[in-house]
Amino acid sequence: MQNEMLAATHESYFKIDPRTKLILMFFVNMFAFRGGNIFIMLTIAAIPVILLFAERKIKGAIICAAVYLAAALINEWIVPATHGAANVLVVMISGMFYRLMPGFIMGYYLVVTTTVSEFIAAMERIHISQKILIPLSVMFRFFPTVVQETRSIGDAMRMRGIAAGGSKFWKRPMSMIEYRIVPLMMSTVKIGEELSAASLTRGLGGPQRRTNICKIGFSVHDIVLLSIVMAVLLAYFLFEKGGVSL
Amino acid sequence: MIEFKNVSFFYGEKERENGIENINLNIQKGEVILLCGESGCGKTTLTRLINGLIPNYYEGVLTGDVIIDGTKVSTLALHEAAKLAGSVFQNPRSQFFNVDTTSELVFGCENMGLKEEEISNRLDRIVNDFHLQLLMKRNIFHLSGGEKQKIACASVAMAHPEVFVLDEPSSNLDMCATQDLKYMIAYWKDQGKTIVVAEHRLYYLADLADRIVYMREGKIEKIFTQAELKSIDNAVLAKLGLRTLNLSSVQKDSKINNNKTQEIILKDFYFSYRHALILQIDLLDFPKGGIIALIGHNGAGKSTFARCLCGLEKKCKGKMCVCNQEYKNKDRIKQCYMVMQDVNHQLFTESVLDEILLSMQEQDALKAEEILHRLDLAHLKDVHPMALSGGQKQRVAIASAVASQREIIIFDEPTSGLDLQHMHEVARCIRMLNEMGKTILIISHDLEFILQSCTHVVCINQGSVIDNYSLDEKGIRQLKKFFTDIDI
Repeated sequence: MQNEMLAATHESYFKIDPRTKLILMFFVNMFAFRGGNIFIMLTIAAIPVILLFAERKIKGAIICAAVYLAAALINEWIVPATHGAANVLVVMISGMFYRLMPGFIMGYYLVVTTTVSEFIAAMERIHISQKILIPLSVMFRFFPTVVQETRSIGDAMRMRGIAAGGSKFWKRPMSMIEYRIVPLMMSTVKIGEELSAASLTRGLGGPQRRTNICKIGFSVHDIVLLSIVMAVLLAYFLFEKGGVSL
Repeated sequence: MIEFKNVSFFYGEKERENGIENINLNIQKGEVILLCGESGCGKTTLTRLINGLIPNYYEGVLTGDVIIDGTKVSTLALHEAAKLAGSVFQNPRSQFFNVDTTSELVFGCENMGLKEEEISNRLDRIVNDFHLQLLMKRNIFHLSGGEKQKIACASVAMAHPEVFVLDEPSSNLDMCATQDLKYMIAYWKDQGKTIVVAEHRLYYLADLADRIVYMREGKIEKIFTQAELKSIDNAVLAKLGLRTLNLSSVQKDSKINNNKTQEIILKDFYFSYRHALILQIDLLDFPKGGIIALIGHNGAGKSTFARCLCGLEKKCKGKMCVCNQEYKNKDRIKQCYMVMQDVNHQLFTESVLDEILLSMQEQDALKAEEILHRLDLAHLKDVHPMALSGGQKQRVAIASAVASQREIIIFDEPTSGLDLQHMHEVARCIRMLNEMGKTILIISHDLEFILQSCTHVVCINQGSVIDNYSLDEKGIRQLKKFFTDIDI
């Protein structure tokens, strides 16, 4: 999954604007974290799951839905039925999934369906400064690099018998951590240096306004999703804050 | 088009290495210039002066003028210089800003602030001309080295620069991808672009280069025309420290001894990734104590095979049999050692000696020093491995393989981007390991190197072994055929 970081590689089946994704991200996180009765929570978690289905990430969507449903049911039935230490444990684990997972699913959806340049285009539309944008986009480029480098360093360590669990690991576990970090830093620094040289020769950082060929913009999809958000917000303020009851 | 007037550059006040001295060179519009010479002779520095990375990115002491099309490069900001000269670099891993191919192609144009319509016109044209249809909208991290370099060339071409600068672009490429690279350079030449290539591999440029600039210790030693260069035979080229111009003329220099009788047998090496079977070898045998070349195109499964053989892929259930003894994954990881293409990944400690000690079952400083001595590293034993040169790092990795008493040592493209002299050094090391009785497997795209050091060839295509022969006279013919029959 990490290799898919902001690297959507096909046309979206259900295209929505990155800005909408960000608004949804904020909304889902806020409400899921705040908590509420099980129906509200399931509705909120359903939003990113449905989006994943729409994007034909069927497997991921089913797993997310199943895990979340389980967490919700545990929270609803098992939490009231347990006491003491068991209760603390169950509350901790299920509560974590119950409150945080919708946000994570939304985040997953965001990174697998958006490309770096779509993301940049969206950020430019809301007038985020280049000074924040360029480092941010380099960061996205760097995640997969770090993953790749870590993998081959891990291989090298296993070959030498100094990986976790290897024959020499327990003799000096602290230096084993050093062995993992130092080569990684060395090679990422080198890659970073070459990478910035390469992007400078491609004209990054010039004073003229960048074009962006990504076609982003609000469509019917966005309007529908944003209307849902608005409706829920309205309902929330009416029923919970405004004291209106059914 | 490009003019060097008394140019000298050093990376530091006292540092003479990689610097250049008193360069005078006049490159005409539409010329293809090949820069060659040993590593550290200053070819890369020359390319950096053209694309403006010197003095804007790499600092140092610069005198003299580099003039492109009437403009002094040193007075331009990098984004201005970028419009004049497009650059392709050696390492395909580190020249991408984006994660997906399409964004990468348009990146340069976007930076120049071109109109969207213009960009998409150029994109359509490039995709057509370079046949990139299958590579569009892909994750760059999932492409092979050759495909990455193709995208790099195409993205540079998108910006329509008048000058192209390529710094060892073929280092990580197989012969097919090198051929593609050649076509791209030829295409630019037809368009009348000026092209400067710094390169160790000369054969693919022999028909394209108009002039060949031979450099030594920062100076231009000699400039050949294409015809002059072609008239030089291999022996003289070798004296100059240059690689061959014509692959089919390479000779095998030593007889192989085929008296090894024992065999290593591999059974049932299967491996799949994301439901695709990428390795399927039912049975493969090669001589124990031999030097086996693993050849095949980029993405044929050679690296996967090497990883499986080393026992790094837990999902691979293959078995290795030596002298009636069977080795599974866990046993093989103790028998095999891989010298990786990027040796930086496998050096962990703070000194060369520690590196060797870490590999030993029982730490024995005397024995470690002996190993260092044999690999010509004794004088470096207290140096930090990261401070060594590429070749020395590689030898440290080899030394730790020796120290760990592994029987099978695998090299992943040990000569990519090496000049002739360094290639000879690697070959010497490998022969020495062989004399110690080790079995050696070498993944390589380097015909000269294979002919010089290997005794046996295994050819892999689409995850299967399609050829397995020893390098006798017939084998040599077969091997050469593989390397030269790529124009189909």
